[in-house]
Amino acid sequence: MPSIKLLPDQLVSQIAAGEVVERPASALKEILENSLDAGSTEVSVALLNGGIKQMRVSDNGGGIARNELALALTRHATSKISSLDDLERVASLGFRGEALASIAAISRTEVTSYHSQEKHGWRIASEGAYLTEVEPAALAVGTIVEIQDLYFNTPARRKFLKTENTEFGHCEEAFRRIALSRPDVTFLLQHNGRAVMRLAASEAQKRFEEVLGADFSAEAFYLDESAAGLRLWGMAAKPTFSRHARDTQYVYVNGRFVRDKLISHAIRQAYQDVLHHDRHPAFVLFLELDPGLVDVNVHPSKTEVRFRDGQSVHRFIFHALHKALATPIGMPSSLTPDMAVSEGNAIPAQPFVPTYPRFQSNIDLRANEPAGFYQTLFGDLSRSSNPETVTSDTATMPDPIANASIGLHPSGQEYPLGFAVAQIHGVYVLAQNTQGLVVVDMHAAHERIMYEKLKNALDASRVPMQPLLLPVSFHADHLEVATVQEQQSLPDNGLQQLGFDIAVLSPTTLAVRSIPVMLKDADAVALARDVLADLRQYGASRAFTERRNELLGTMACHAAVRANRILTIPEMNALLRDMEATERSGQCNHGRPTWFQVTMIELDKMFMRGK
Amino acid sequence: MNIKINRDTLLKPLSSVSGIVERRHTLPILSNLLLEAKQDKIVLTATDLEMQISLSVETAVGGELSTTISAKKLLDICRSLPENAEITMATQESKIQVKTGKSRFNLQTLPANDYPVMTKAAGATNTVIKIGQKSLKRLLKQVEFAMAQQDIRYYLNGLLFEVNGNRLNVVGTDGHRLSFTSTELGSSYEKQEIILPRKTVIELIKLLDESEEEVTIEVASGQANFAFGDIRLISKVIDGKFPDYTRVIPSGHQNSFTVDRMMILLSMQRASILSNEKYRGIRMVLTENSLKLISTNSEQEEAEEELEINYAGSALDIGFNVTYMIDVLNNVDSENVVFSFADANSSCLVTVENDNNYKYVVMPMRI
Repeated sequence: MPSIKLLPDQLVSQIAAGEVVERPASALKEILENSLDAGSTEVSVALLNGGIKQMRVSDNGGGIARNELALALTRHATSKISSLDDLERVASLGFRGEALASIAAISRTEVTSYHSQEKHGWRIASEGAYLTEVEPAALAVGTIVEIQDLYFNTPARRKFLKTENTEFGHCEEAFRRIALSRPDVTFLLQHNGRAVMRLAASEAQKRFEEVLGADFSAEAFYLDESAAGLRLWGMAAKPTFSRHARDTQYVYVNGRFVRDKLISHAIRQAYQDVLHHDRHPAFVLFLELDPGLVDVNVHPSKTEVRFRDGQSVHRFIFHALHKALATPIGMPSSLTPDMAVSEGNAIPAQPFVPTYPRFQSNIDLRANEPAGFYQTLFGDLSRSSNPETVTSDTATMPDPIANASIGLHPSGQEYPLGFAVAQIHGVYVLAQNTQGLVVVDMHAAHERIMYEKLKNALDASRVPMQPLLLPVSFHADHLEVATVQEQQSLPDNGLQQLGFDIAVLSPTTLAVRSIPVMLKDADAVALARDVLADLRQYGASRAFTERRNELLGTMACHAAVRANRILTIPEMNALLRDMEATERSGQCNHGRPTWFQVTMIELDKMFMRGK
Repeated sequence: MNIKINRDTLLKPLSSVSGIVERRHTLPILSNLLLEAKQDKIVLTATDLEMQISLSVETAVGGELSTTISAKKLLDICRSLPENAEITMATQESKIQVKTGKSRFNLQTLPANDYPVMTKAAGATNTVIKIGQKSLKRLLKQVEFAMAQQDIRYYLNGLLFEVNGNRLNVVGTDGHRLSFTSTELGSSYEKQEIILPRKTVIELIKLLDESEEEVTIEVASGQANFAFGDIRLISKVIDGKFPDYTRVIPSGHQNSFTVDRMMILLSMQRASILSNEKYRGIRMVLTENSLKLISTNSEQEEAEEELEINYAGSALDIGFNVTYMIDVLNNVDSENVVFSFADANSSCLVTVENDNNYKYVVMPMRI
């Protein structure tokens, strides 16, 4: 048996580096965070070979004084906190005093810095454990950190590095995360001498667009909600702009990028009603709260956080996002800055919106029936006696300006979905508004309207409980039993609010005594287990609501008008008005879009008008 | 091999046995029925592997035949033939020709030997009960509606038949309400209980008639045999432990009233129109000599029915799933029913006047 002894400092640093510096991207993240903590407004990153060969970050921040340079490369040395109180209320990105030391332990590092109290810049270099003397250097502002040959002395770790491109991809992602969080800072990313991303300091929304692409910002809405010391702001994409992968998902807590189960669960639930189940929402969200209420000191990489009151954070995020997603078509002002643009030009993101070339290729298919098509379109218009619908002469005038007067209701306000003109193949309703043509999937739209009505009716009332004649007892683990006991001791028993009555029969047995009436035919044990698991993990359970909504969804589907039901113009207009007044009416219950807009510009393009 | 038979003689037994034949089956022979003819007798057998019905008809057929034919097709053919048509059936290799007048049908058959006939379980028969067809049918109808349907507690998807001394108890429950009925038997037996599957119960109700003729029920291990008239029904039983119903049936409920069954049934049906279509909740508000039935739905519409009753108990406001109430009122046959309550959170007991053998327990709903 070898004897127990203290490890050499170098080895300790290398071990610590394993946690902090998992790959070049994590080193980059740490250094960028240091730059931001130093108050920089311009940060540029230059990488060679995906950051493995060289990584150079220069900023214009506060800099490091000469006598602190050596300390900066030493473990547990930091300027960011100095006492436990600071740790509990940490507002800077870093605080552990480990990052630079860890990086230095496994690479050839050089730090050059200019501090305002010095006459000129100073440089210090390290290679593994060995620090050089501090020497004068020519630098007028900020700090340059240069890291070469990452993992040169830890061959085991070096073997785990992926290809240059992969590592660069990770670095770019790390860079993107940082860049999104600080729109007020100018960022530059270079790789192998070529500029990859150049981001000028700007507004948050502009930065999001630059980093995440124009299609994201066109399809996303801005939200900003605060309540009880919590603030959630950022942009979230509409459900129709959903992804197959969880790539465009950025959550920041007090400016720090995190991957938190609680937050993602809340977001997922907010989208649940409008998103197809195997699609993932896209969003950039910033949660701001008193630093004292969140513990970031969970893991060295700091992507995990603990909330002191997880339940209320979960509830707040869910409600803020849910509310924003629910806003009906009629009132976009609070959220979407430009409704016309975001709905109309969303071509690349919405797979259901045909792009211009697709329209072209479709022309062949329609070629043998255009006459009939137009006849229905205009025939309906000319014989329409309803004063609310458009008259035939405006319809034949394709000039959008001339049409500007149509689609106004008596109060002078515009109906966003315009007025119905016809129904095609018993499936789609065509309507025209000031922007052009609106195509509505009538079944999907009506289904959503019915669904929301059913939901609203039930949400308003208490959950009726059906006590069981034969209580169902089941074998439970200690966690489940503890959850039940905890809930029973609370004044507002979460279980009872959900329509459950669960009793503890023995330390390992629970009995379901009552279940919500709506779910009386469901498997009581499975239901109770789901609810308990949710209550334990997230403090709130939507298991009941989810199941109930499934039932309501089916009811709504049966109650909604089916395809091939011929609707009259007043019926179609009523449907459009209902859609405008209904929350989440942009998607059907399954997340499919219910309508889309073809603008006059697009129509003109199709016919090569005005060219 | 060919036989002759009158269409009307064949039609009735044919439709009786066809009821249990499943339309869609992975085993083709299960959509067939077994047809066996011997000079003066014809026997039809159908099975779904859980239960089997065979029916024999005494009639001169003038030949012998043993084969299996699609139940549905044969039934459809017989049904659409003119009345009293004389049907000739003749097998030719794997086919059978059904002929009458100028109509001819050639149907595929499968060998009779392959037909999965259920036989009486070997070993000693434990119990043989005899009971009139009419009374058995009545017992089943009184409790059948309370059975569970496709519940994961599989033992609730059927009826409990319990023989105890000289009593036969039949119980059905779906976990929310329970229906119990009992009758006296001619002789005394050892205690025994079986759970009869839902499908068997429903078929039995269809097959039993209103006569006083006796049904012989043989209860063997894992199997129950019913013999009445020309019909032999063999059914597997559900292997499970039925919940202890005696603990569920309350006693000593103080607040009770008697009411005309049809009157309260009609009131309930009217009130249910405006009950929430998903909850089906209805409030029963009891005050001295008055019962109000109140229902509201999600559109804030409200129905109120008031009944004059003889009630001297304490005032009570209690909610129920109206479907559970309508079910019991529809399925008992007495003129008056008795409702008994303890308080708004305890179960309600419904009994019929002058008959201690029937009890229905339903849990209230907290609206």
